[in-house]
Amino acid sequence: MSMMAVAEETEMEPVVEKKSPGKALWLLAPGVIWMSLFLVLPMLMMVYVSFWTQTTFTIEPTLTLKSWITFFTSDTYLGALWTTVRIWLIVLVATVLVGYPAALFVGLFVKNKALQTVLLVLCVIPFWTSFLIRVLAWRPMLGKEGAINMILMNLGITDAPIEVLLFSELSVIIGMTQIYCVFMVGPIAFMLGRIDTSIIEAAQDLGAGFWRIFRTIILPLSMPGVVVGAIFVSVMVLGEFATSAALSGRKVNLLGNIIVTQVGSLKWAFAAVAGVVLTILMGAVVAALLRVVDLRKEL
Amino acid sequence: MNASGIKTGLGAYTALFLVFLYGPLVVLAILSFQTGPEGGPQFPIIEWSTYWYKHLFGLTPPSRIAPLPIEQALVRSLGLAVMTMIVSTVLGVTAAQAFRRKFRGSGVVFYLIVLGMMVPGVLVGLGMALVANTLGIDRHWWSTAFVLHVVYTFPFAFLVMLAIFNRFDPSMEEASWSLGVTPARTFRKVTFPLIFPGVLSAMLFAFTLSYDEFSRTLFASGRDLTLPLAIYGTFSVEVHPNVFAFGVLTTLFSFALLGTYAALMMLSVRRAKRVAIQEEA
Amino acid sequence: MSTVLQLKSITKTYGDMRALSGIDLALPGDAYISLLGPSGSGKTTLLRVIAGFEQPDGGAILFDGKRIDTVAPHKRGIGFVFQNFALFPHLSVAQNIAYGLENRDVDPVTDRRVVDARVRDIISLVGLSGLEGRAVTQISGGQRQRVALARTLVTEPRMVLLDEPLGALDANLRARMRAELRAIRERCGVTFLHVTGSEAEALAMGDTVLVLESGRIAQSADSDTVYNRPASPAVARFLNCYNLFQGRIEAGAFVGGAGRFALGASAPTRAATPAYAIRYDRVSVRPRDAAIGEDEIRIEANFVASEYSGAAVNSFFALDDGRVFEVESHLSHAAPETYAEQGRYALVWKREDALVYA
Repeated sequence: MSMMAVAEETEMEPVVEKKSPGKALWLLAPGVIWMSLFLVLPMLMMVYVSFWTQTTFTIEPTLTLKSWITFFTSDTYLGALWTTVRIWLIVLVATVLVGYPAALFVGLFVKNKALQTVLLVLCVIPFWTSFLIRVLAWRPMLGKEGAINMILMNLGITDAPIEVLLFSELSVIIGMTQIYCVFMVGPIAFMLGRIDTSIIEAAQDLGAGFWRIFRTIILPLSMPGVVVGAIFVSVMVLGEFATSAALSGRKVNLLGNIIVTQVGSLKWAFAAVAGVVLTILMGAVVAALLRVVDLRKEL
Repeated sequence: MNASGIKTGLGAYTALFLVFLYGPLVVLAILSFQTGPEGGPQFPIIEWSTYWYKHLFGLTPPSRIAPLPIEQALVRSLGLAVMTMIVSTVLGVTAAQAFRRKFRGSGVVFYLIVLGMMVPGVLVGLGMALVANTLGIDRHWWSTAFVLHVVYTFPFAFLVMLAIFNRFDPSMEEASWSLGVTPARTFRKVTFPLIFPGVLSAMLFAFTLSYDEFSRTLFASGRDLTLPLAIYGTFSVEVHPNVFAFGVLTTLFSFALLGTYAALMMLSVRRAKRVAIQEEA
Repeated sequence: MSTVLQLKSITKTYGDMRALSGIDLALPGDAYISLLGPSGSGKTTLLRVIAGFEQPDGGAILFDGKRIDTVAPHKRGIGFVFQNFALFPHLSVAQNIAYGLENRDVDPVTDRRVVDARVRDIISLVGLSGLEGRAVTQISGGQRQRVALARTLVTEPRMVLLDEPLGALDANLRARMRAELRAIRERCGVTFLHVTGSEAEALAMGDTVLVLESGRIAQSADSDTVYNRPASPAVARFLNCYNLFQGRIEAGAFVGGAGRFALGASAPTRAATPAYAIRYDRVSVRPRDAAIGEDEIRIEANFVASEYSGAAVNSFFALDDGRVFEVESHLSHAAPETYAEQGRYALVWKREDALVYA
């Protein structure tokens, strides 16, 4: 009887208290705050400071376009912008050309799952070693008395060492291609591994040659992998400065190198302008690549 | 066109590709055994020796080649990597936990987090230096550089945990609640043990990435060098085989880390198996 | 019988979909209650709302007279057995069962010996002796089911919700577990609310059978009543043992596509739409020229096929409008008759056996 009384009493009262939707908020808050304070704020600060007035050793928060004008009228800065775009395009193409055949072999031709895993792990292992050491390792390879010249001369292919191998744009391209092609191989091999081989066998039964199968089946199906790889490679190459610092002997100046030297000489506003230009460049590249493929869907 | 010919060709190419990937590191390792202090960073090897390894640890008589400032740098790098590992793993787990329920604005938050691994170190590093300058804060490896390391590694931990939670059966937690166990204790007793392999992966990612990080550190760490910065410093000067010797050691360290991780994973898998087999008998 | 759980106009919507539209029910203590509903009828949602995994949009839930709809799941004291069992894969059988005792918020058992003793008791109750140390990945489906049950029962909840607990088992095991679940429940004296999509399971197991139909309780009665007097045409259709006709009542007869059926003496059951239902096993098949009694109804149909299912044979006939009419003959009554393919037969039943809804 008393239970019924309680029931009557509570009957019409609507349920108001929802199961805390704020719980997710509390879990997210630390990460979101961290990213806002230490990622978004610094980036905004960079944009803001690019409009500050640069004096010899300090900057003042008086807004001006002077740094921007200096950037776009200076051959050094515009040259660096052009070099960045050029190196990025060359390295991008080089990583695809160098990485695709290896990915094709690992992702499609190796049927044994264990061997496939071993090969992929072999490709990824260098990623776990120090980036700077990998860059530096090219010096004894490419130098005038380096391994490559030594081999070439011992084989009698050349008489004198090839000097252009090190401390040139070529050495930067070689170094970057080696370091970043792993990021191209992975996604492409992943996409190729998802191809149902019975399609290819069916095409073979119909008498299609390898190139025809490659052009009509394999290449289109692997394109999302190429684009994902291109996003990885682009983001990393555009933000580069260490490889060119180590291997070009100051001959190749990327926007990243400009930022480093400007900061070194306390030209914060100029560095900020270069940073904003680099951000815009990267945003445009990534946005263009994302139009080709939906990253969230593919991964 | 025959397919086996193409397969052989691609196989040979892949072998060459692996030589391309590993060749420089192998050459570097060989040259690290060059004699010293007169032997330079090139072939031929005048005499095999471990001089440069001793040089690294200050066990050789003083010479014109200055020792690498690695002792303090190693301590800082390890400290920074451990701090970064802990904080980014905690952030990664909590953020991924929040993403298990659908909520409005999840797309924005997802991209905000992933942005951390996309934005180049030079840009965040520069931005952080500007913020620190404006606020009049000193830059240190344990403050400004540390927070940027987390910005970089947190997204990796987050993505790893997101993948783990995608495969996690939530009815396991509901079962625990229905047995009268609080959500907090459920997380500790049920959820965490089951996602632990993922947590281990996230920790490995965070530690390695932080230990190796230099572009953010370069701008945000102030005067004290971390290990990568010590190596970066040698870029502009003549390189001696001592850097190569250091490279070999740090590579071995990375492999040891990877090995430890693999052993831990194997152990947890085998333990589960052993319980099963033991009972089967 | 005291009421242990009471639901008052519980509603729940997902986006535009109304999963529960005003559920009212009262469940007695110490009883086996089966909740029958077709897939999509909201039965799992209802169970999850009672357990607290989902929040209702409106209404009230009273458990032991106390309102619990805003109480967190772990404070409700209601056990839950999942269809996929949801055992903890990192714990052994015994650890799974001991988990609730050791870790619960209220009154945890810290004494190792007490835990061991209670685990041992429940393990023998559900028949798992000898498997204590096994990994839960290394036991059969039926054994996992028992672990799931033991894990819940050892915490002594007043009520256990079972979400299609036999759904993941094969047919053989399912039949055996039915009897065992009932026996285990009787020994523990708790209330079981067993959700199932199988009418046979619901009727066989429940002291009380609740039928859920598009988010509402369509009927709540004992098995016999549900089976013999389904409360609505929808319940009858879902029981899967009634031939149903649509139509209208006209001058003491039901008029539908299949003809004009004279009504018996009993008053029609109230329903939203008029319908006429005759149970499969109340129909007899006769040659076309056989005479019929005064109280009988006769229609003609073409034989299509027969299906043996152990103790009975189900024959399918095509009516003239193309609809299928099913007849169930129990083999204990007579030897199975064989009908000519496409042969025309008379299907006959007594007026009083039909259920009429108006």
